[in-house]
Amino acid sequence: MVKELQEKVKQLFKDKKVDMVIGWRKGSLPLSSSPLFINKIEDVDNLIFDETCQNNLAVYITKDKRRLVKDGKKIGVIVKGCDARSLVLYCVEKQIKRENLVIIGVPCKGVFDKRKVMEQVDNKEVLGFSVNGKEVTIKGQEFEKTLDKFEIASDSCQSCVYPDAPVFDEFITEPRKEKPDIDEFAKVDKFEELSLDDRWKKITDEYSKCVRCYACRNVCPSCYCNVCFVDQNDPQWIGKSPEITDTIIFHLIRNLHVAGRCVECGACARACPEGIDLLLLNKKITKEIKERFGYTAGINIDEKPAMQSYCENEKQDFIMG
Amino acid sequence: MIKIEKNKFDEFLEILKKEYNVFAPKKEGAQTSFKEIKFAKDIEFNNINTKIPKEIFFPQAEELFMYKDSKIENIEKKKAIAVWGVRPCSAKSFILIDKIFGRAKQKPGDKNFEDPLWKTKYDDSLVFTIGCNTPASTCFCNWVDCGPFDSTGSDVMVYDDGNGFLLEGISKKGIKFLSDIKDFEESNDKDRQNIEVLKNIAETMLSKPIDKDLLKVKIDKSWNHSIWDEMSAKCINCGACTYNCPTCHCFDIQDEGKSNKGKRIRLWDSCMFPDFTNEASGHNPRDLSKDRFRQRFMHKFKYFPENNGDYLCTGCGKCIQVCPVNVDVRDVLNKIIEF
Ligand code: SF4
Ligand code: SF4
Ligand code: SF4
Ligand code: SF4
Repeated sequence: MVKELQEKVKQLFKDKKVDMVIGWRKGSLPLSSSPLFINKIEDVDNLIFDETCQNNLAVYITKDKRRLVKDGKKIGVIVKGCDARSLVLYCVEKQIKRENLVIIGVPCKGVFDKRKVMEQVDNKEVLGFSVNGKEVTIKGQEFEKTLDKFEIASDSCQSCVYPDAPVFDEFITEPRKEKPDIDEFAKVDKFEELSLDDRWKKITDEYSKCVRCYACRNVCPSCYCNVCFVDQNDPQWIGKSPEITDTIIFHLIRNLHVAGRCVECGACARACPEGIDLLLLNKKITKEIKERFGYTAGINIDEKPAMQSYCENEKQDFIMG
Repeated sequence: MIKIEKNKFDEFLEILKKEYNVFAPKKEGAQTSFKEIKFAKDIEFNNINTKIPKEIFFPQAEELFMYKDSKIENIEKKKAIAVWGVRPCSAKSFILIDKIFGRAKQKPGDKNFEDPLWKTKYDDSLVFTIGCNTPASTCFCNWVDCGPFDSTGSDVMVYDDGNGFLLEGISKKGIKFLSDIKDFEESNDKDRQNIEVLKNIAETMLSKPIDKDLLKVKIDKSWNHSIWDEMSAKCINCGACTYNCPTCHCFDIQDEGKSNKGKRIRLWDSCMFPDFTNEASGHNPRDLSKDRFRQRFMHKFKYFPENNGDYLCTGCGKCIQVCPVNVDVRDVLNKIIEF
């Protein structure tokens, strides 16, 4: 598959269909890959795609004041299902013209959550891994452990129903015909069953770990405001210390700012150095939006986003109900 | 040097607790971080991949003072702190931060500036550093004048020989503390030999250091070079590296209060954030991601060494572990050398 991917990208360069391609290369640690920016054909041989390719590369389209877009380049992005949905979102939100994007889909079989792997091997030093169907063998100094791949996959992958790009220009191999047989909101349903007090407890327990580094916001492809409300100091909207009230306000507002725009890629949760379960509330809102407005972000470029359209027969009760 | 059998650690902890609030690695959920400890059973002795202990002396959010009506209330002093089980890369980081908060000078000949919040905590503290028998693959302390058994910044060095801990006094404070405690065995020649064996094994597990002279020559010439564009392209300026770095010490000051009472706090800040250098005029001298990325490495490997004689990096590798896009400081240094 990787060979095919490399060939395809080379062809795109030869045909002058792209000026640059963003993909992944092997990282400096066994469980990490690294984003790769390809500007010339010779660099294509460094491209990889495997379970370590967890970054949502779409973020580079809006990052750094849309530097790449402003250059007017034709950008190819190699995408998993969730990453492709971010690109669709950018087209819908007019961050990049569709014709300046070449969406290159790859068949995603889930990415690792490094933290889960490390926990499974008691934080011992990992030197390598191999995947064999549904099993992953982790090799380390003086140990080898076989794990269930689903168990060590990112939370986002465990609940993902769009592993293949819903919109693409090229697809390496074939996109799957059928959606995975997964209950995408299983965790949310469980959360909803809790009493109000228990739900609040879960939220405060999680968010009290937050150190307000904003890594979650910075890796999030949907968070691209020129100035984020937490960074504004004239007027200042919110206290900056990791005090629980302000911290929860930060997270709830972020949840609402990405409502109907979150593509459930889980990049926020994987980037969080404190291991906070950031996906849960985003998924909760995704579920609300799906049930109430029949809308899922990043699937269709021509569909009007839930938060930017109005129908008279919409339910009017409070969204978080 | 004294010896503490592992099953006697409780006794030792009791002695330590009399004079000190003791911090040590504690596992909570998936994370192991430095927490105040009451019982030996709460200590996680073996994990080298703990979170850094910076917060003990330099909390992420620290009250400078509180005020009510027109009265200012200073924060009261607490019991002295002992930290058990920091690694040499963290112990050295305390010394580096102390060069700023403990004894910074504007220019030669000036009186030292002393940061009272740092000084009151750090100066009275007792640092027990544990040697690293098995360095992690992200460790490169040997590149930056530190090492798995380096004692810089330690009051007491601790060696784990499998059965127990051997404690060696390093600073005056550390030597005095050890000579004051009784009831523990003295170490013998065999123990000392064991330590040498452990040190030698650890050395072999580390990678070959870079050429420091060459780094100096190259980094001085690198400012306008395209390597900074290439290397910074993937950085998303999330700041996770700086928040998890034992030596990063930049902070912001905020006032939080309502009508007649409130507090002034200082908070960790990061050179990776755009608003770190945003000026009131709206101009930002480090406007692009590249400017901020370059600053982080220039500060650590050029400016700080020029001003203070040491790299502002102890090779702990934490930033490598937390970076979501695999920015690896070793790659950065190699690229600088190679251009
Ligand atoms: S990444 Fe984690 S710790 Fe940092 S601001 Fe987000 S939730 Fe908080
Ligand atoms: S909020 Fe999290 S899951 Fe949603 S798009 Fe942003 S990074 Fe992805
Ligand atoms: S952790 Fe990595 S991506 Fe984040 S600011 Fe540091 S170098 Fe950049
Ligand atoms: S720069 Fe990285 S390796 Fe160096 S001290 Fe900071 S976290 Fe450790």
